[in-house]
Amino acid sequence: MIDELLAQFLIEGREQSLEAGADLVALQRGPIDRARLDRCFRAVHTLKGSADLLGYKPMGRALHAAEDALGALRDHPPADGHDFSALLAVADQVERWLDALEAAAALPDDAAKAADGLVARLTGQPLADAAPAAADDWDGAAVFPGRGGVAVRYTPRADAYFSGDDPTAIAAGLPGLAELRVRLAEPAGELGLYDPFRCNLVIEALSTAPRPQVEEALRLVRDQVAFASLTAAAPTAAPAPVAEPEAARRSLRIDADRIDQMADLADQLVVAKNGLTELASQVEALDGGRALGQALRARQAELDRLVGSLNATVGQARLTPLAPLLGRFPRLAREIAAELGKPAVLEIEGGEVEVDKAVVDGLFEPLLHLVRNALDHGVETASARTAAGKPGQAKIRLSARTLGDQVVIAVADDGAGIDPQRVRAKALARGLIDGQAAAALDEAAVIELIFRPGFSTAETVSSVSGRGVGMDAVRAAVVRLGGRVEVRSQRGQGATFNLVLPIRTVLTRLIVVACGDERFGLPMDAVAEVARVAARDVTPIRERRAFVLRDQVVPLVDLGQALGRRDPARDSGRVVVARVGGEPVGFEIDAVVDRVDAVVRPMNGLLAGTRGVAGTTLAADGSVLLVLDLSELAS
Amino acid sequence: MRIEHREGVAALHGHCRVADAETLASLLQQSPGITLDVSGCESLHAAVVQAILAFRPPVVGAPADPFLKNHLLTALAREAAVD
Repeated sequence: MIDELLAQFLIEGREQSLEAGADLVALQRGPIDRARLDRCFRAVHTLKGSADLLGYKPMGRALHAAEDALGALRDHPPADGHDFSALLAVADQVERWLDALEAAAALPDDAAKAADGLVARLTGQPLADAAPAAADDWDGAAVFPGRGGVAVRYTPRADAYFSGDDPTAIAAGLPGLAELRVRLAEPAGELGLYDPFRCNLVIEALSTAPRPQVEEALRLVRDQVAFASLTAAAPTAAPAPVAEPEAARRSLRIDADRIDQMADLADQLVVAKNGLTELASQVEALDGGRALGQALRARQAELDRLVGSLNATVGQARLTPLAPLLGRFPRLAREIAAELGKPAVLEIEGGEVEVDKAVVDGLFEPLLHLVRNALDHGVETASARTAAGKPGQAKIRLSARTLGDQVVIAVADDGAGIDPQRVRAKALARGLIDGQAAAALDEAAVIELIFRPGFSTAETVSSVSGRGVGMDAVRAAVVRLGGRVEVRSQRGQGATFNLVLPIRTVLTRLIVVACGDERFGLPMDAVAEVARVAARDVTPIRERRAFVLRDQVVPLVDLGQALGRRDPARDSGRVVVARVGGEPVGFEIDAVVDRVDAVVRPMNGLLAGTRGVAGTTLAADGSVLLVLDLSELAS
Repeated sequence: MRIEHREGVAALHGHCRVADAETLASLLQQSPGITLDVSGCESLHAAVVQAILAFRPPVVGAPADPFLKNHLLTALAREAAVD
């Protein structure tokens, strides 16, 4: 139960802190927008409530202070150019605390101290002119928004009834009662165990009478009452147009695992229904079986259609907007920029673009590296920038847009661009290319060298970029998702990295097998089973071999040799049994190494006709894995 | 308090005092689908209100007392509409 609450808090908390952060950045930059101030306030207010509920006190304290500050700003909007950095610091810290909660289910040890710092920073700042309010015990404005008067929260003690109090009668006695709310203080719980005499109520009321009168009416229960003096919201002279909330789609929160399970089942359905084609053939081959066989085929065609639809629908369900992924980067960019001492801001665009969940999951690391790289190597120091006539604050744009059935995600900086001379020199120094070849390359080709493995060991290993995760890893990750990386650069103006990816990934289930020191991928739906066959059960039949699998004689082929390898398979006894033309064929391998889901790209160009090869994919270590077509190999 | 039963409805009459909370809670527990008619109520002790909030039966009727009619029942209706 606690875990569920935390999990929910992490999901919603991130949304709210992203919202608050984005609003604060916009408020800092542009004209003060009342609707935005309001949105920001509500996001912080909700976050505060959840933090309080879950007992994360330092987070709650910081958010209380932020909420107070935002509330004051909301009531008395400041002039343009007001400094929101203290509030932004809270939003950023909340995001970091959410990371800590996700990793360790607890706030870091220094959370209380950090909260103190944030609160001090907020309260030390002169707030907008606010009319001094009488001491308030509780947040009445949240319960009676926009109203004026005395707000009262009366929480009778559990033994109130035994003391002879009737809280209803007390409420009825309030002068100037304008509005009344009554609710249970705690959920009723198991109704079979309901205790009618244990008081479990919260009574909230708004009165238009003067506060002393209200206090007088409640004097006998003063210790159970909190007061707040509210001022009605002043009507705005020119009401700011309220931004329409995002068109509410009918949507559900679904556990990502459930979608994966559904996708899994849909895949298995594909394999299962494929088995029917064969059955239909077998039935047709029987005496008098033609009609039945054809009926089976018709049914199978219908199943085909339905399974295809199901797959497509599940594929749709896996589509998810990029906004949560992109939204993490402005804060990360702020932190990296601060670490490097280079003022920079990261803007995002295109969060509403939707892509397959697998793509979203696989893009965080590559994007993070590109952003780090842009800040570390692309962006010049502030002084160099001003000397060059550029604004001191660098700008990085992280954007997404669709292009047909592809999505283009771009990381564009306005830094110094990529220097082809330096790249060429570095590649030579690292021995990635020899002098002759280097001289022959044009500028675009030289820039491509940054993607070579081994290129990117930085001269100064900063804590930001230096972990040896290079551009080659970025490219490999994107290719693994079925996409490509392109780079465009202009000296003095900046560089743009475009990640072009399919919106939907089509993942094929593969088993990876070893033949000697080579690895190959076999599509799982071509594989009926992986059998163990002892050497003594293998019978030579003329130049070929066969073995008995249950009651059937199955031809045996050495997979490596079928692919042109010289060495025979080791006697590991492992045989992959595939169905070729309705008949089982065994392929002898050395070992089954792995099972993966991968994007298989078909061979094209000169290699398109290669016998026995269905396509290629990238193994986890970045090497190319051939995916085999077993039926071609068997014939 | 006096309770009048019609089909599916329990009408509460008079002053509903603290002890009546137990009677009402039993009734609501045994007849979960029952509707409460409060038009005859002259007052509702908080314990009775609490029982109504806990068991959440439908509540109908407009009592004469202005506090009950304008404030308390409105508050109950509000809670009933939440989630």
